[in-house]
Amino acid sequence: MPRTEKASSMTMELEQTRRPRAEKAAGKPVKSAVPKVSAWARWRFGLWVPPLVTFVALGIAWEYVAHSNPFVIPPLGNIAESITNDPSAYWNNLLVTLKEVAVGGGAAIVLGYLLAVLMCEFKILERALMPVVMVIMVTPVIAIAPALVVAFGFGMLPKYIVTIIVAIFPILINSLAGLRAVDPGTLDVLRVVDASRWEIFWRLRFPGSMPYFFAGLRIAIPFAIIGAAVAEFVAAGEAAGLGAMVSIAASQANLEVTWAGISMFCVLGLLFVAALTLLRRRILWWDNHGRAPK
Amino acid sequence: MNAALTTTGAEVLARGVTKRFGVRGQPVTVLDDVDLRIAPGEFVSVIGPSGCGKSTLLRIIAGLLDADEGSVAINGEAVPQAIRHKAMGLVPQTPALLPWRSVRDNVLLPTQVNTAANAGRNLLDVDELLTSFGLGKDLRKYPRQLSGGMQQRVAIARAFVFDPPVLLMDEPFSALDEITRDQQRLGLLDFWQSNRRSVMFITHSVPEAILLSDRVVLMAARPGRIAEITEIDLPRPRDESVFLSPQFREYEIRIREGLRRVMKNAQD
Ligand SMILES: Nc1ncnc2c1ncn2[C@@H]1O[C@H](COP(=O)(O)OP(=O)(O)O)[C@@H](O)[C@H]1O
Ligand SMILES: [Mg+2]
Repeated sequence: MPRTEKASSMTMELEQTRRPRAEKAAGKPVKSAVPKVSAWARWRFGLWVPPLVTFVALGIAWEYVAHSNPFVIPPLGNIAESITNDPSAYWNNLLVTLKEVAVGGGAAIVLGYLLAVLMCEFKILERALMPVVMVIMVTPVIAIAPALVVAFGFGMLPKYIVTIIVAIFPILINSLAGLRAVDPGTLDVLRVVDASRWEIFWRLRFPGSMPYFFAGLRIAIPFAIIGAAVAEFVAAGEAAGLGAMVSIAASQANLEVTWAGISMFCVLGLLFVAALTLLRRRILWWDNHGRAPK
Repeated sequence: MNAALTTTGAEVLARGVTKRFGVRGQPVTVLDDVDLRIAPGEFVSVIGPSGCGKSTLLRIIAGLLDADEGSVAINGEAVPQAIRHKAMGLVPQTPALLPWRSVRDNVLLPTQVNTAANAGRNLLDVDELLTSFGLGKDLRKYPRQLSGGMQQRVAIARAFVFDPPVLLMDEPFSALDEITRDQQRLGLLDFWQSNRRSVMFITHSVPEAILLSDRVVLMAARPGRIAEITEIDLPRPRDESVFLSPQFREYEIRIREGLRRVMKNAQD
Protein backbone atom coordinates (compact mmCIF):
# COMPACT_ATOMS: atom_id res chain seq x y z
CA MET A 1 0.00 0.00 0.00
CA PRO A 2 2.38 2.87 0.93
CA ARG A 3 4.47 2.98 -2.18
CA THR A 4 6.89 5.61 -1.00
CA GLU A 5 7.48 3.79 2.22
CA LYS A 6 8.37 0.65 0.38
CA ALA A 7 10.78 2.63 -1.71
CA SER A 8 12.54 4.06 1.31
CA SER A 9 12.88 0.72 3.03
CA MET A 10 14.35 -0.61 -0.18
CA THR A 11 16.89 2.18 -0.05
CA MET A 12 17.84 1.05 3.40
CA GLU A 13 18.29 -2.52 2.27
CA LEU A 14 20.53 -1.42 -0.53
CA GLU A 15 22.49 0.67 1.95
CA GLN A 16 23.10 -2.47 3.89
CA THR A 17 24.12 -4.67 1.01
CA ARG A 18 26.75 -2.07 0.28
CA ARG A 19 28.49 -2.89 3.53
CA PRO A 20 31.70 -4.87 3.43
CA ARG A 21 31.04 -8.39 2.33
CA ALA A 22 33.70 -9.81 4.60
CA GLU A 23 32.01 -8.25 7.59
CA LYS A 24 28.67 -9.77 6.63
CA ALA A 25 30.14 -13.17 6.02
CA ALA A 26 31.61 -13.11 9.51
CA GLY A 27 28.03 -12.83 10.76
CA LYS A 28 28.60 -9.52 12.50
CA PRO A 29 25.80 -7.01 12.77
CA VAL A 30 25.95 -4.22 10.25
CA LYS A 31 26.58 -1.60 12.89
CA SER A 32 29.49 -3.48 14.44
CA ALA A 33 32.22 -1.73 16.38
CA VAL A 34 34.90 -2.79 13.89
CA PRO A 35 37.15 0.22 13.27
CA LYS A 36 36.61 1.86 9.89
CA VAL A 37 40.14 1.33 8.58
CA SER A 38 40.15 -2.38 9.09
CA ALA A 39 36.68 -2.72 7.60
CA TRP A 40 37.88 -0.81 4.57
CA ALA A 41 40.96 -3.01 4.27
CA ARG A 42 38.83 -6.11 4.48
CA TRP A 43 36.47 -4.76 1.89
CA ARG A 44 39.35 -4.15 -0.51
CA PHE A 45 40.55 -7.65 0.23
CA GLY A 46 37.20 -9.14 -0.65
CA LEU A 47 37.12 -7.06 -3.80
CA TRP A 48 40.51 -7.89 -5.27
CA VAL A 49 41.51 -11.29 -4.05
CA PRO A 50 38.84 -13.55 -5.62
CA PRO A 51 39.35 -12.33 -9.22
CA LEU A 52 43.10 -12.33 -8.67
CA VAL A 53 42.95 -16.00 -7.68
CA THR A 54 40.92 -16.73 -10.82
CA PHE A 55 43.43 -14.95 -13.05
CA VAL A 56 46.43 -16.64 -11.48
CA ALA A 57 44.77 -20.05 -11.86
CA LEU A 58 43.96 -19.29 -15.52
CA GLY A 59 47.54 -18.16 -16.09
CA ILE A 60 48.94 -21.38 -14.64
CA ALA A 61 46.57 -23.48 -16.76
CA TRP A 62 47.54 -21.46 -19.83
CA GLU A 63 51.27 -21.99 -19.22
CA TYR A 64 50.70 -25.72 -18.69
CA VAL A 65 48.84 -26.10 -22.01
CA ALA A 66 51.27 -23.83 -23.85
CA HIS A 67 54.31 -25.84 -22.77
CA SER A 68 52.81 -29.24 -23.54
CA ASN A 69 51.18 -28.13 -26.86
CA PRO A 70 53.30 -25.26 -28.25
CA PHE A 71 51.32 -25.24 -31.53
CA VAL A 72 48.01 -24.48 -29.87
CA ILE A 73 48.80 -21.42 -27.74
CA PRO A 74 52.10 -19.67 -27.05
CA PRO A 75 53.54 -19.20 -23.54
CA LEU A 76 52.65 -15.84 -21.97
CA GLY A 77 56.35 -14.85 -21.86
CA ASN A 78 56.64 -15.21 -25.64
CA ILE A 79 53.57 -13.00 -26.16
CA ALA A 80 55.04 -10.26 -23.98
CA GLU A 81 58.38 -10.61 -25.75
CA SER A 82 56.74 -10.20 -29.13
CA ILE A 83 55.30 -6.88 -27.97
CA THR A 84 58.51 -5.56 -26.38
CA ASN A 85 60.54 -6.55 -29.45
CA ASP A 86 58.55 -4.36 -31.79
CA PRO A 87 56.39 -2.01 -29.72
CA SER A 88 55.92 0.57 -32.47
CA ALA A 89 54.20 -1.92 -34.80
CA TYR A 90 51.70 -2.77 -32.09
CA TRP A 91 51.30 0.85 -31.11
CA ASN A 92 50.60 1.97 -34.69
CA ASN A 93 48.05 -0.77 -35.24
CA LEU A 94 46.44 0.00 -31.89
CA LEU A 95 46.12 3.66 -32.89
CA VAL A 96 44.42 2.75 -36.16
CA THR A 97 41.86 0.58 -34.36
CA LEU A 98 41.43 3.17 -31.64
CA LYS A 99 40.67 5.78 -34.27
CA GLU A 100 38.06 3.54 -35.89
CA VAL A 101 36.42 2.84 -32.55
CA ALA A 102 36.52 6.50 -31.50
CA VAL A 103 35.22 7.95 -34.78
CA GLY A 104 32.78 5.15 -35.63
CA GLY A 105 31.64 4.66 -32.03
CA GLY A 106 31.42 8.42 -31.43
CA ALA A 107 29.31 8.89 -34.56
CA ALA A 108 27.11 5.96 -33.50
CA ILE A 109 26.57 7.54 -30.08
CA VAL A 110 25.65 10.96 -31.47
CA LEU A 111 23.52 9.62 -34.34
CA GLY A 112 21.87 6.97 -32.17
CA TYR A 113 20.82 9.45 -29.50
CA LEU A 114 19.67 12.06 -32.03
CA LEU A 115 17.62 9.45 -33.85
CA ALA A 116 16.09 8.34 -30.55
CA VAL A 117 15.12 11.95 -29.73
CA LEU A 118 13.55 12.41 -33.16
CA MET A 119 11.66 9.13 -32.90
CA CYS A 120 10.43 10.06 -29.42
CA GLU A 121 9.21 13.49 -30.53
CA PHE A 122 7.81 12.43 -33.90
CA LYS A 123 6.07 9.10 -33.71
CA ILE A 124 5.78 9.03 -37.49
CA LEU A 125 9.57 8.87 -37.79
CA GLU A 126 9.62 5.82 -35.58
CA ARG A 127 7.03 4.15 -37.80
CA ALA A 128 9.01 5.05 -40.88
CA LEU A 129 12.49 4.10 -39.66
CA MET A 130 12.09 1.32 -37.09
CA PRO A 131 11.48 -1.43 -39.69
CA VAL A 132 14.67 -0.46 -41.54
CA VAL A 133 16.55 -0.41 -38.25
CA MET A 134 15.28 -3.90 -37.48
CA VAL A 135 16.25 -5.22 -40.91
CA ILE A 136 19.80 -3.91 -40.56
CA MET A 137 20.04 -5.06 -36.97
CA VAL A 138 19.16 -8.69 -37.73
CA THR A 139 21.58 -8.88 -40.68
CA PRO A 140 24.95 -10.22 -39.47
CA VAL A 141 27.52 -7.44 -39.74
CA ILE A 142 30.09 -9.98 -40.91
CA ALA A 143 27.97 -10.37 -44.04
CA ILE A 144 27.61 -6.62 -44.63
CA ALA A 145 31.27 -5.77 -44.11
CA PRO A 146 32.71 -7.33 -47.32
CA ALA A 147 30.03 -5.59 -49.38
CA LEU A 148 30.96 -2.26 -47.82
CA VAL A 149 34.65 -2.79 -48.51
CA VAL A 150 33.82 -3.48 -52.15
CA ALA A 151 31.67 -0.36 -52.28
CA PHE A 152 33.94 2.05 -50.43
CA GLY A 153 37.42 0.62 -50.95
CA PHE A 154 40.09 -0.12 -48.40
CA GLY A 155 40.20 3.30 -46.69
CA MET A 156 38.85 4.18 -43.27
CA LEU A 157 35.31 4.92 -44.47
CA PRO A 158 33.98 1.34 -44.68
CA LYS A 159 35.46 0.68 -41.23
CA TYR A 160 33.69 3.67 -39.76
CA ILE A 161 30.45 2.57 -41.39
CA VAL A 162 30.69 -1.00 -40.08
CA THR A 163 31.49 0.30 -36.60
CA ILE A 164 28.55 2.69 -36.68
CA ILE A 165 26.18 -0.04 -37.87
CA VAL A 166 27.01 -2.32 -34.95
CA ALA A 167 27.25 0.31 -32.24
CA ILE A 168 24.25 2.48 -33.09
CA PHE A 169 21.47 0.03 -32.20
CA PRO A 170 22.04 -0.37 -28.47
CA ILE A 171 22.28 3.42 -28.17
CA LEU A 172 19.14 4.02 -30.20
CA ILE A 173 16.97 1.37 -28.57
CA ASN A 174 18.04 2.17 -25.01
CA SER A 175 17.82 5.94 -25.38
CA LEU A 176 14.39 5.73 -26.94
CA ALA A 177 13.18 3.59 -24.03
CA GLY A 178 14.71 6.10 -21.58
CA LEU A 179 13.20 9.15 -23.27
CA ARG A 180 9.78 7.49 -23.02
CA ALA A 181 10.16 6.18 -19.47
CA VAL A 182 9.85 9.55 -17.73
CA ASP A 183 7.59 9.82 -14.69
CA PRO A 184 4.06 10.48 -16.00
CA GLY A 185 3.33 12.57 -12.89
CA THR A 186 6.15 14.99 -13.61
CA LEU A 187 5.05 15.13 -17.23
CA ASP A 188 1.55 16.15 -16.08
CA VAL A 189 2.95 18.79 -13.73
CA LEU A 190 4.87 20.31 -16.65
CA ARG A 191 2.00 20.08 -19.12
CA VAL A 192 -0.39 21.89 -16.79
CA VAL A 193 1.91 24.91 -16.91
CA ASP A 194 2.18 24.70 -20.70
CA ALA A 195 5.85 23.67 -20.84
CA SER A 196 6.98 23.50 -24.47
CA ARG A 197 8.22 20.29 -26.05
CA TRP A 198 11.73 21.65 -25.87
CA GLU A 199 11.35 22.45 -22.15
CA ILE A 200 9.97 19.00 -21.45
CA PHE A 201 12.88 17.50 -23.34
CA TRP A 202 15.55 19.61 -21.70
CA ARG A 203 14.25 19.52 -18.11
CA LEU A 204 12.80 16.02 -18.02
CA ARG A 205 13.42 13.64 -20.91
CA PHE A 206 17.09 14.37 -21.53
CA PRO A 207 18.34 13.92 -17.95
CA GLY A 208 15.84 11.12 -17.35
CA SER A 209 17.11 9.17 -20.35
CA MET A 210 20.73 9.23 -19.18
CA PRO A 211 20.65 5.99 -17.14
CA TYR A 212 19.27 4.18 -20.20
CA PHE A 213 21.74 5.92 -22.48
CA PHE A 214 24.62 4.77 -20.30
CA ALA A 215 23.27 1.24 -20.24
CA GLY A 216 23.28 1.46 -24.04
CA LEU A 217 26.87 2.76 -24.03
CA ARG A 218 27.98 -0.21 -22.00
CA ILE A 219 26.83 -2.49 -24.79
CA ALA A 220 27.71 -0.17 -27.68
CA ILE A 221 31.38 0.30 -26.82
CA PRO A 222 32.33 -3.39 -26.94
CA PHE A 223 30.17 -3.62 -30.06
CA ALA A 224 32.12 -0.78 -31.66
CA ILE A 225 35.35 -2.68 -31.03
CA ILE A 226 33.80 -5.78 -32.61
CA GLY A 227 32.74 -3.67 -35.58
CA ALA A 228 36.24 -2.27 -36.06
CA ALA A 229 37.79 -5.73 -35.74
CA VAL A 230 35.39 -7.28 -38.25
CA ALA A 231 35.99 -4.50 -40.77
CA GLU A 232 39.73 -4.96 -40.45
CA PHE A 233 39.49 -8.74 -40.85
CA VAL A 234 37.55 -8.26 -44.05
CA ALA A 235 39.96 -5.65 -45.38
CA ALA A 236 43.06 -7.39 -44.05
CA GLY A 237 44.86 -6.68 -47.34
CA GLU A 238 45.33 -3.15 -46.14
CA ALA A 239 47.37 -4.47 -43.21
CA ALA A 240 46.37 -1.72 -40.80
CA GLY A 241 44.76 -2.09 -37.40
CA LEU A 242 44.83 -4.79 -34.74
CA GLY A 243 42.20 -6.86 -36.55
CA ALA A 244 44.28 -7.03 -39.74
CA MET A 245 47.34 -7.80 -37.67
CA VAL A 246 45.63 -10.71 -35.92
CA SER A 247 44.13 -11.97 -39.17
CA ILE A 248 47.42 -11.93 -41.08
CA ALA A 249 49.41 -13.41 -38.20
CA ALA A 250 46.90 -16.23 -37.75
CA SER A 251 47.02 -17.11 -41.44
CA GLN A 252 50.80 -17.39 -41.11
CA ALA A 253 50.45 -19.47 -37.92
CA ASN A 254 52.35 -16.78 -36.03
CA LEU A 255 50.86 -17.50 -32.61
CA GLU A 256 52.81 -14.89 -30.64
CA VAL A 257 51.67 -11.98 -32.81
CA THR A 258 48.13 -13.36 -32.99
CA TRP A 259 47.78 -13.51 -29.23
CA ALA A 260 49.62 -10.24 -28.67
CA GLY A 261 47.07 -8.59 -30.97
CA ILE A 262 44.19 -10.24 -29.12
CA SER A 263 45.52 -9.03 -25.79
CA MET A 264 45.71 -5.48 -27.19
CA PHE A 265 42.02 -5.70 -28.10
CA CYS A 266 41.42 -6.82 -24.58
CA VAL A 267 43.27 -3.84 -23.09
CA LEU A 268 41.46 -1.47 -25.46
CA GLY A 269 38.07 -2.80 -24.38
CA LEU A 270 38.93 -2.64 -20.69
CA LEU A 271 40.17 0.95 -20.98
CA PHE A 272 36.94 2.04 -22.62
CA VAL A 273 34.76 0.27 -20.10
CA ALA A 274 36.78 1.71 -17.20
CA ALA A 275 36.50 5.23 -18.64
CA LEU A 276 32.78 4.71 -19.06
CA THR A 277 32.37 3.58 -15.46
CA LEU A 278 34.17 6.69 -14.19
CA LEU A 279 32.15 8.96 -16.45
CA ARG A 280 28.91 7.35 -15.33
CA ARG A 281 29.78 7.89 -11.70
CA ARG A 282 30.37 11.59 -12.36
CA ILE A 283 27.30 12.21 -14.48
CA LEU A 284 24.78 9.81 -12.99
CA TRP A 285 25.57 10.33 -9.31
CA TRP A 286 21.82 10.65 -8.72
CA ASP A 287 21.05 7.24 -10.18
CA ASN A 288 23.21 5.25 -7.78
CA HIS A 289 20.73 2.40 -7.53
CA GLY A 290 18.76 3.76 -4.62
CA ARG A 291 21.69 4.84 -2.47
CA ALA A 292 21.51 8.27 -0.91
CA PRO A 293 23.75 10.76 -2.70
CA LYS A 294 26.72 11.99 -0.71
CA MET B 1 2.55 39.57 3.28
CA ASN B 2 2.76 40.31 -0.41
CA ALA B 3 -0.27 41.18 -2.45
CA ALA B 4 -0.62 37.78 -4.05
CA LEU B 5 -1.24 36.10 -0.75
CA THR B 6 -4.37 38.13 -0.13
CA THR B 7 -5.93 37.45 -3.53
CA THR B 8 -8.21 34.47 -3.72
CA GLY B 9 -8.47 31.87 -6.45
CA ALA B 10 -10.31 31.68 -9.72
CA GLU B 11 -13.69 30.19 -10.48
CA VAL B 12 -13.65 26.71 -11.98
CA LEU B 13 -16.77 25.90 -13.92
CA ALA B 14 -17.39 22.51 -15.50
CA ARG B 15 -20.61 22.13 -17.47
CA GLY B 16 -22.06 18.92 -18.83
CA VAL B 17 -18.69 17.18 -18.95
CA THR B 18 -18.99 13.78 -20.58
CA LYS B 19 -16.13 11.41 -21.32
CA ARG B 20 -16.08 8.00 -22.94
CA PHE B 21 -13.19 5.61 -23.22
CA GLY B 22 -13.03 2.89 -25.80
CA VAL B 23 -12.45 -0.38 -24.00
CA ARG B 24 -11.96 -3.25 -26.45
CA GLY B 25 -13.80 -1.32 -29.15
CA GLN B 26 -16.75 -0.74 -26.82
CA PRO B 27 -17.19 2.88 -25.68
CA VAL B 28 -17.63 3.09 -21.90
CA THR B 29 -19.04 6.28 -20.42
CA VAL B 30 -16.69 7.27 -17.63
CA LEU B 31 -18.18 10.69 -16.94
CA ASP B 32 -21.80 11.45 -17.65
CA ASP B 33 -22.95 15.07 -17.77
CA VAL B 34 -20.94 16.32 -14.79
CA ASP B 35 -21.50 19.87 -13.56
CA LEU B 36 -19.11 21.24 -10.98
CA ARG B 37 -18.43 24.77 -9.82
CA ILE B 38 -15.59 25.72 -7.54
CA ALA B 39 -15.96 29.27 -6.29
CA PRO B 40 -12.89 31.51 -6.06
CA GLY B 41 -10.95 30.48 -2.97
CA GLU B 42 -13.15 27.49 -2.26
CA PHE B 43 -11.80 24.12 -1.14
CA VAL B 44 -13.77 21.31 -2.77
CA SER B 45 -13.09 17.66 -2.09
CA VAL B 46 -14.21 14.91 -4.44
CA ILE B 47 -14.82 11.50 -2.97
CA GLY B 48 -16.20 8.30 -4.44
CA PRO B 49 -15.52 4.64 -5.20
CA SER B 50 -12.40 3.70 -7.16
CA GLY B 51 -12.84 4.00 -10.88
CA CYS B 52 -15.78 6.40 -10.68
CA GLY B 53 -13.92 8.97 -12.78
CA LYS B 54 -12.47 11.37 -10.19
CA SER B 55 -9.05 11.44 -11.80
CA THR B 56 -10.59 11.67 -15.25
CA LEU B 57 -12.59 14.75 -14.18
CA LEU B 58 -9.48 16.34 -12.68
CA ARG B 59 -7.44 15.63 -15.79
CA ILE B 60 -10.12 17.19 -17.98
CA ILE B 61 -10.12 20.33 -15.83
CA ALA B 62 -6.31 20.33 -15.95
CA GLY B 63 -6.38 20.16 -19.74
CA LEU B 64 -4.55 16.82 -19.76
CA LEU B 65 -7.57 15.12 -21.34
CA ASP B 66 -10.26 16.43 -23.66
CA ALA B 67 -13.90 15.98 -22.77
CA ASP B 68 -16.16 14.44 -25.41
CA GLU B 69 -18.96 16.81 -24.49
CA GLY B 70 -19.35 19.79 -22.21
CA SER B 71 -17.01 22.60 -21.31
CA VAL B 72 -14.62 23.75 -18.63
CA ALA B 73 -13.82 27.37 -17.90
CA ILE B 74 -11.32 28.88 -15.49
CA ASN B 75 -12.44 32.40 -14.60
CA GLY B 76 -14.43 32.42 -17.81
CA GLU B 77 -11.43 31.37 -19.89
CA ALA B 78 -11.11 28.12 -21.81
CA VAL B 79 -8.64 25.62 -20.38
CA PRO B 80 -5.90 26.04 -23.04
CA GLN B 81 -5.73 29.78 -22.31
CA ALA B 82 -5.74 29.18 -18.57
CA ILE B 83 -2.86 26.75 -19.01
CA ARG B 84 -0.94 29.31 -21.02
CA HIS B 85 -1.21 31.72 -18.07
CA LYS B 86 -0.20 28.99 -15.65
CA ALA B 87 -3.51 29.34 -13.86
CA MET B 88 -3.40 25.82 -12.40
CA GLY B 89 -0.97 23.90 -10.23
CA LEU B 90 -1.07 20.11 -10.11
CA VAL B 91 -0.18 17.76 -7.27
CA PRO B 92 -0.11 14.22 -8.65
CA GLN B 93 -0.76 11.07 -6.66
CA THR B 94 2.96 10.26 -6.38
CA PRO B 95 5.41 13.06 -5.55
CA ALA B 96 6.99 12.68 -9.03
CA LEU B 97 10.11 14.63 -8.06
CA LEU B 98 13.21 14.68 -10.22
CA PRO B 99 15.97 12.69 -8.51
CA TRP B 100 18.74 14.80 -10.04
CA ARG B 101 17.35 18.04 -8.65
CA SER B 102 17.62 19.24 -5.07
CA VAL B 103 14.44 19.92 -3.10
CA ARG B 104 14.77 23.61 -3.88
CA ASP B 105 15.30 23.05 -7.61
CA ASN B 106 12.41 20.59 -7.75
CA VAL B 107 10.10 23.24 -6.33
CA LEU B 108 11.44 25.80 -8.80
CA LEU B 109 10.73 23.57 -11.82
CA PRO B 110 7.36 25.10 -12.83
CA THR B 111 8.82 28.60 -12.65
CA GLN B 112 11.55 27.62 -15.11
CA VAL B 113 9.22 26.62 -17.93
CA ASN B 114 6.81 28.78 -19.89
CA THR B 115 8.59 31.76 -18.35
CA ALA B 116 6.52 34.20 -20.40
CA ALA B 117 3.67 33.49 -17.97
CA ASN B 118 5.82 34.53 -15.00
CA ALA B 119 5.60 38.18 -15.99
CA GLY B 120 3.58 40.22 -13.51
CA ARG B 121 2.92 37.40 -11.10
CA ASN B 122 4.09 36.95 -7.58
CA LEU B 123 6.40 33.98 -7.53
CA LEU B 124 6.64 32.92 -3.91
CA ASP B 125 10.03 32.90 -2.26
CA VAL B 126 11.07 29.24 -2.43
CA ASP B 127 13.08 29.24 0.76
CA GLU B 128 10.26 30.89 2.69
CA LEU B 129 7.70 28.55 1.16
CA LEU B 130 9.68 25.44 2.00
CA THR B 131 10.35 26.72 5.50
CA SER B 132 6.63 27.15 6.04
CA PHE B 133 6.24 23.54 4.87
CA GLY B 134 8.72 22.45 7.55
CA LEU B 135 11.44 21.78 5.00
CA GLY B 136 13.67 24.73 5.78
CA LYS B 137 16.60 22.48 6.64
CA ASP B 138 16.20 20.27 3.59
CA LEU B 139 16.52 22.77 0.75
CA ARG B 140 19.75 21.27 -0.53
CA LYS B 141 18.80 17.66 -0.01
CA TYR B 142 17.77 15.33 -2.80
CA PRO B 143 14.38 13.58 -2.99
CA ARG B 144 15.87 10.20 -2.12
CA GLN B 145 17.03 11.57 1.22
CA LEU B 146 13.48 12.52 2.25
CA SER B 147 10.67 10.45 3.72
CA GLY B 148 7.51 9.87 1.70
CA GLY B 149 5.63 12.56 3.63
CA MET B 150 8.37 15.11 3.06
CA GLN B 151 8.51 14.28 -0.64
CA GLN B 152 4.78 14.86 -0.93
CA ARG B 153 5.16 18.23 0.81
CA VAL B 154 7.80 19.17 -1.75
CA ALA B 155 5.32 18.22 -4.49
CA ILE B 156 2.68 20.47 -2.90
CA ALA B 157 5.16 23.33 -2.57
CA ARG B 158 5.98 22.86 -6.26
CA ALA B 159 2.31 23.47 -7.09
CA PHE B 160 2.07 26.55 -4.85
CA VAL B 161 5.35 28.21 -5.82
CA PHE B 162 4.12 30.03 -8.92
CA ASP B 163 1.03 31.13 -7.05
CA PRO B 164 -1.67 29.71 -9.33
CA PRO B 165 -5.25 30.67 -8.48
CA VAL B 166 -6.35 27.02 -8.88
CA LEU B 167 -4.81 23.92 -7.33
CA LEU B 168 -5.66 20.40 -8.44
CA MET B 169 -4.67 17.59 -6.12
CA ASP B 170 -5.25 13.92 -6.93
CA GLU B 171 -5.10 11.88 -3.72
CA PRO B 172 -1.83 13.51 -2.68
CA PHE B 173 -1.68 11.69 0.66
CA SER B 174 -2.98 8.28 -0.33
CA ALA B 175 0.49 6.71 -0.48
CA LEU B 176 1.35 7.76 3.08
CA ASP B 177 0.84 5.91 6.34
CA GLU B 178 -1.95 7.10 8.62
CA ILE B 179 0.21 9.05 11.10
CA THR B 180 2.09 10.86 8.36
CA ARG B 181 -1.18 11.58 6.57
CA ASP B 182 -2.60 13.31 9.64
CA GLN B 183 0.43 15.56 9.81
CA GLN B 184 0.23 16.36 6.10
CA ARG B 185 -3.49 17.17 6.25
CA LEU B 186 -3.05 19.61 9.07
CA GLY B 187 -0.03 21.16 7.34
CA LEU B 188 -2.02 21.66 4.14
CA LEU B 189 -4.98 23.02 6.10
CA ASP B 190 -2.75 25.55 7.82
CA PHE B 191 -1.04 26.64 4.66
CA TRP B 192 -4.22 26.89 2.61
CA GLN B 193 -6.04 28.86 5.30
CA SER B 194 -3.44 31.60 5.01
CA ASN B 195 -3.15 31.28 1.19
CA ARG B 196 -6.67 30.67 -0.02
CA ARG B 197 -6.86 29.40 -3.56
CA SER B 198 -9.52 27.40 -5.37
CA VAL B 199 -8.76 23.77 -4.70
CA MET B 200 -10.06 20.54 -6.18
CA PHE B 201 -8.91 17.80 -3.87
CA ILE B 202 -9.52 14.12 -4.59
CA THR B 203 -9.43 11.82 -1.60
CA HIS B 204 -10.58 8.46 -0.32
CA SER B 205 -10.74 9.63 3.26
CA VAL B 206 -14.00 11.02 4.63
CA PRO B 207 -12.42 12.74 7.68
CA GLU B 208 -9.76 14.29 5.46
CA ALA B 209 -12.44 15.68 3.14
CA ILE B 210 -14.45 17.15 6.02
CA LEU B 211 -11.45 18.65 7.78
CA LEU B 212 -10.22 20.49 4.70
CA SER B 213 -13.26 21.31 2.61
CA ASP B 214 -15.94 23.89 2.17
CA ARG B 215 -17.88 21.34 0.16
CA VAL B 216 -17.59 17.59 -0.31
CA VAL B 217 -18.66 16.22 -3.68
CA LEU B 218 -19.69 12.58 -3.68
CA MET B 219 -19.42 10.79 -7.01
CA ALA B 220 -21.11 7.59 -8.12
CA ALA B 221 -19.67 5.12 -10.62
CA ARG B 222 -20.72 3.59 -13.94
CA PRO B 223 -21.29 6.08 -15.33
CA GLY B 224 -19.32 8.56 -13.24
CA ARG B 225 -21.61 11.31 -12.03
CA ILE B 226 -22.13 13.57 -9.06
CA ALA B 227 -24.42 11.89 -6.50
CA GLU B 228 -24.59 14.54 -3.81
CA ILE B 229 -22.81 17.57 -2.46
CA THR B 230 -22.38 18.30 1.25
CA GLU B 231 -21.65 21.81 2.50
CA ILE B 232 -19.24 21.65 5.42
CA ASP B 233 -20.32 24.44 7.70
CA LEU B 234 -17.54 24.16 10.27
CA PRO B 235 -16.03 27.48 11.34
CA ARG B 236 -12.68 28.59 9.94
CA PRO B 237 -9.85 28.72 10.66
CA ARG B 238 -10.02 25.06 11.61
CA ASP B 239 -7.50 22.89 13.36
CA GLU B 240 -7.39 19.31 14.64
CA SER B 241 -9.98 20.13 17.32
CA VAL B 242 -12.73 19.92 14.66
CA PHE B 243 -12.32 16.14 14.75
CA LEU B 244 -13.86 16.26 18.22
CA SER B 245 -16.88 18.41 17.43
CA PRO B 246 -20.32 16.75 17.24
CA GLN B 247 -20.96 18.48 13.90
CA PHE B 248 -17.94 16.70 12.48
CA ARG B 249 -19.40 13.36 13.54
CA GLU B 250 -22.68 14.22 11.87
CA TYR B 251 -20.99 15.11 8.60
CA GLU B 252 -18.96 11.95 8.77
CA ILE B 253 -22.03 9.78 9.29
CA ARG B 254 -23.91 11.53 6.51
CA ILE B 255 -21.11 11.22 3.95
CA ARG B 256 -20.36 7.63 4.89
CA GLU B 257 -24.03 6.79 4.39
CA GLY B 258 -23.93 8.48 1.02
CA LEU B 259 -20.87 6.45 0.08
CA ARG B 260 -22.56 3.25 1.15
CA ARG B 261 -25.63 4.09 -0.96
CA VAL B 262 -23.48 4.84 -3.97
CA MET B 263 -21.55 1.60 -3.63
CA LYS B 264 -24.74 -0.43 -3.12
CA ASN B 265 -26.42 1.04 -6.19
CA ALA B 266 -23.34 0.20 -8.21
CA GLN B 267 -23.67 -3.45 -7.21
CA ASP B 268 -27.32 -3.78 -8.22
N1 LIG C 1 -7.02 6.07 -20.76
C1 LIG C 1 -8.04 5.26 -20.40
N2 LIG C 1 -8.51 4.34 -21.26
C2 LIG C 1 -9.53 3.53 -20.92
N3 LIG C 1 -10.16 3.59 -19.73
C3 LIG C 1 -9.73 4.49 -18.84
C4 LIG C 1 -8.65 5.37 -19.11
N4 LIG C 1 -8.45 6.16 -18.04
C5 LIG C 1 -9.36 5.77 -17.12
N5 LIG C 1 -10.14 4.78 -17.61
C6 LIG C 1 -11.25 4.14 -16.89
O1 LIG C 1 -12.10 5.14 -16.47
C7 LIG C 1 -12.62 4.87 -15.20
C8 LIG C 1 -12.37 6.02 -14.26
O2 LIG C 1 -11.00 6.14 -14.01
P1 LIG C 1 -10.42 7.21 -13.00
O3 LIG C 1 -10.86 8.55 -13.40
O4 LIG C 1 -8.96 7.00 -12.89
O5 LIG C 1 -11.12 6.78 -11.64
P2 LIG C 1 -10.85 7.24 -10.14
O6 LIG C 1 -9.78 8.28 -10.16
O7 LIG C 1 -12.15 7.74 -9.64
O8 LIG C 1 -10.44 6.02 -9.39
C9 LIG C 1 -11.98 3.59 -14.74
O9 LIG C 1 -12.91 2.55 -14.92
C10 LIG C 1 -10.81 3.42 -15.64
O10 LIG C 1 -10.57 2.07 -15.89
MG1 LIG D 1 -7.80 8.26 -9.39
